[in-house]
Amino acid sequence: MALLYELVWRLLHCLLQLQRAAAAWIRGRVWRRGGRLCRRAALRLPGALGFSTQKKTAKPRRVRWVADGKALEKLPLHVGLLVAEEEQQYTDIANLVVWCMAVGISYVSVYDNEGVFRRNNSRLMEEIMKQQQELLGSESCKYSLEFLNNGTDPHALLCQTVVKVLSPDDGKLRIVQAAQQLCKAVEKKERTSKDIDVTVLDSLLRESKNVPDPDLVLKFGPVDSTLGFLPWHIRLTEFISLPSHKDVSYEDFLSALRRYASCEQRVGK
Amino acid sequence: MSWIREGELSLLERLTANVLKAGPMPKHVAFIMDGNRRYAQKRHVERQEGHTQGFDKLAETLRWCLNLGIHEVTVYAFSIENFKRSKEEVGGLMELAKEKFLRLLDEQENLEKHGVCIRVLGDLTLLPEDLQRHIAKAVVSTRAHNKCFLNVCFAYTSRHEIANAVKEMAWGVEQGLIKSSDVSEALLNECLYTSSSPNPDLLIRTSGEVRLSDFLLWQTSHSCIVFQSILWPEYSFWNLCEAILQYQQNHHAIQKAREVHREGQAVQQLESDHSCVAELLQHRGNGKPVDPQCRQTALQSYAASREERVQRFIGALQQKRDTFFDHLLSPTAVA
Repeated sequence: MALLYELVWRLLHCLLQLQRAAAAWIRGRVWRRGGRLCRRAALRLPGALGFSTQKKTAKPRRVRWVADGKALEKLPLHVGLLVAEEEQQYTDIANLVVWCMAVGISYVSVYDNEGVFRRNNSRLMEEIMKQQQELLGSESCKYSLEFLNNGTDPHALLCQTVVKVLSPDDGKLRIVQAAQQLCKAVEKKERTSKDIDVTVLDSLLRESKNVPDPDLVLKFGPVDSTLGFLPWHIRLTEFISLPSHKDVSYEDFLSALRRYASCEQRVGK
Repeated sequence: MSWIREGELSLLERLTANVLKAGPMPKHVAFIMDGNRRYAQKRHVERQEGHTQGFDKLAETLRWCLNLGIHEVTVYAFSIENFKRSKEEVGGLMELAKEKFLRLLDEQENLEKHGVCIRVLGDLTLLPEDLQRHIAKAVVSTRAHNKCFLNVCFAYTSRHEIANAVKEMAWGVEQGLIKSSDVSEALLNECLYTSSSPNPDLLIRTSGEVRLSDFLLWQTSHSCIVFQSILWPEYSFWNLCEAILQYQQNHHAIQKAREVHREGQAVQQLESDHSCVAELLQHRGNGKPVDPQCRQTALQSYAASREERVQRFIGALQQKRDTFFDHLLSPTAVA
């Protein structure tokens, strides 16, 4: 009897995996077809209107993206890009960061649970700069990107996006380090244990004082877990899952933002 | 209404349960039981009725978990943020809690039969005193049971829990039980309200909201998180099975991620021990180079003495917690 249950179980999971694979394949086909059509149209359009190609194809997109951002009921201040996939595509992440910038999001964090992006920080930064040029064209100089390293405070400027690359060390380990710091202060009699509360711990964990908690995390990949992403900071974060960051389209990104805009936060009330 | 709804699964439910149990099953499931008020609105009844039905659903869900072999359940019953609600609603929730905890004391036999251990996690000092006493009675009377565990988070937020854990470690340092260098992820785990439980394997939030709302943020860092759109009072056995299926699909990837994290923890601990030992040897050696054998022995002995300190501290912490409840129950308890 147990064998029969096991067989049914295996069959069930096989079917679920097939369903997932089929969905991914359909998505891939639709994107590639849709993308090819869009690119063909984008190339033909300026010619048809009598403009020269290169400079002007970038402009309509950027204008549309800014308009999309303004049209949303609410825009997250800080978006986390959580990559829960085995392979990382730097160009696709760079696209996402640039879209965030164009739409008007002020802070972007990039995370994977093995710290790959952190180790390859400069490669990611280069890719983002490259995509910024390619996607925003001549207008890219209006947008400035600031890459945040530990300890620096971001400077709030108009049309600026602050990008930070995170790893699991920024999660529980950071909390443990803050705890050690407080305990050391107690050891040296600079503090008492009664002083320690949520506010004290929060100020230690907010090393870059102006960076708000993530309002929205876009999770890419099939794993339904936060995988160690900033446990302290995600208490009110909305989580929206996307199947993959590979070949992610602007439309997928925008529909996630629209979903975020429609959610209601009661904060306990 | 009883805390654990009596009843068995139907034939179809039993077959489904048996199929699911052929795969990996979560041992500890956490629930954010969201949607009571929206349910009440939908059914055109009072909010209080929504909360009451929510409790009934909890009783039913506990029964399903037992049937599925899930022996530990943690629920988010009342957040510290919920104190912001109207006085009327908060009062109603406190009354409901008092009624349910009192009812629990009538069900001693039933709870003993199922071996249910009830724990209440949160800053209980924020609650009305009579409720604190009812809770203390429920916790103390089921303390010795060990077949299944129900953890009720009441007057709880994760940030308060983590800050409190840090405070406890600082207290340990003040008392001379531990050193600041003993602070580690493992030690912080021991200082959380949930220290007697393993981390949840599966976290389920109902009503369609896709956030954690300050619930078990530390403990669920590597748990399978499932968001379901059903309102809590409408939760069904099939919804639970759906969540478990998702847990099974994620099982391999999450186990792998947990392993990576555990390895990282071990490396951190070793590095920390190394640097403490290096400092010690430097003091003793007065600048003379230390041979590797001596360093290795020193490392082992340091780790052993650190473990001893930590165990003594954890014992003292447990005693402090037990005293809190015993004090509430003593006839001479000062208001």
